[in-house]
Amino acid sequence: MIYLCRYSPHLIDFCNYRITTQHPDNITKAMNCTNYDACPECDLLLNNSSPRLGEKAYCPRCGLLLSHPKKQSVERTFALSIAGFILFFPSLLLPMVGITVLGSANTGILLSGVIALFKESMWPVAIVVFLASILFPLVHLSLSLLISGHLYFNRPNRFLVHWMHWMQHLDEWVMLEVYMLGIIVACVKLMAIAPLQFGWGLYAFIALLIITTQLTAGLDKKLFWHHIALLQKGHNHGR
Amino acid sequence: MAANALKQGFVRCHDCGLLISTAEHSASCPRCHSELHARRPQSLQRCAAFLASSFFLYIPANIFPIMTVNQFGAGDPHTIAGGIVELFDSGMIPIGLLVLVASILVPTSKLVGIALLLLCAHFRWQVNARRWTTLYRIIAFVGRWSMLDIFMISILVDLVNFSGVQIIAGPAATAFAAVVILTMFAAENFDPRLLWDHQKAYE
Ligand SMILES: [Zn+2]
Repeated sequence: MIYLCRYSPHLIDFCNYRITTQHPDNITKAMNCTNYDACPECDLLLNNSSPRLGEKAYCPRCGLLLSHPKKQSVERTFALSIAGFILFFPSLLLPMVGITVLGSANTGILLSGVIALFKESMWPVAIVVFLASILFPLVHLSLSLLISGHLYFNRPNRFLVHWMHWMQHLDEWVMLEVYMLGIIVACVKLMAIAPLQFGWGLYAFIALLIITTQLTAGLDKKLFWHHIALLQKGHNHGR
Repeated sequence: MAANALKQGFVRCHDCGLLISTAEHSASCPRCHSELHARRPQSLQRCAAFLASSFFLYIPANIFPIMTVNQFGAGDPHTIAGGIVELFDSGMIPIGLLVLVASILVPTSKLVGIALLLLCAHFRWQVNARRWTTLYRIIAFVGRWSMLDIFMISILVDLVNFSGVQIIAGPAATAFAAVVILTMFAAENFDPRLLWDHQKAYE
């Protein structure tokens, strides 16, 4: 026996615009896989239903948020990844926080914390900080730019599937918001001993943080995987 | 009552979420080509291995100094707990509470929580699985926030580097970063569906 989701069980209808107009026969091809879905955390069998835009579908058994379709997820992701990519470089290169003690000043950028740890031969910690605050955010942004760009322009690419895998695995290891909290705590500690100056790097970093948060919140993975599958299928048929 | 997808003959692709009938006997997902597993392979063993190693590293992380403040030649080493006590003493209560939660309460409760989840799944305790899944979600969500201390140290080490005053990272920083990462791996390898698989109430 199959449990129904709380929402009316439409069949797969979340490939709403671009692709449906171009390859109308692809919908039926995708549907023959299965009309069911399973909850990723409790394995409850569900009807593959898609809530309307802006609505949320929860698993009736364990309460997991199953899907929350957003308006124009591909376009939004594409635009936000471009903006994030542009903002990444000022936040990496411009000074973030400056401190003056007894007349001598010191400014820090995102990378200089890593270098300082390296110089103290704390290289395992330096590598972790470098990965979580610089490399992984950059790779994550590049991947979401590549994926959403290909989907936006309807370009099939055999690497799309791999890029999606990597992006999903990186999700948890992008720690910009934790780094921001680290900056706040460090500043509060330092403010007690010396005056601080805040630079453009910090403002760029805050903007980058807001954009990446918006990006991960608006990225509809289900829709992305579906688009990719349709693109690859259309590509294979064209050959 | 409701039934598990696996018992109905379906396997969900871990990477792309496609549901595949077990009757097709395919080893990889037709959509994203990743290997298919009904449950995470060796979920409990891997999770336990990561958990055990983070337990061992948890001890040096708390005993050794996480950073040393060098003032005109005199070194003043701080442990994780010492840094929090100092924050409280200088009147910075909210920040002190924040660091207390992120670097002591969260790692400790994470170690205990993952151990409980492992025991529950291994001994097939009959529990309210929904509540235990919530516990799993909290553990998976809060894990990364413990990196706060490590990032803060990297900023302090970089900024406080004058001829008279210096901050130097201590050996506990390495151990603590390893604890955070290992517990994140442990949580990632734990499959919450194992909590539901043997619940008689849902069969
Ligand atoms: Zn569920």
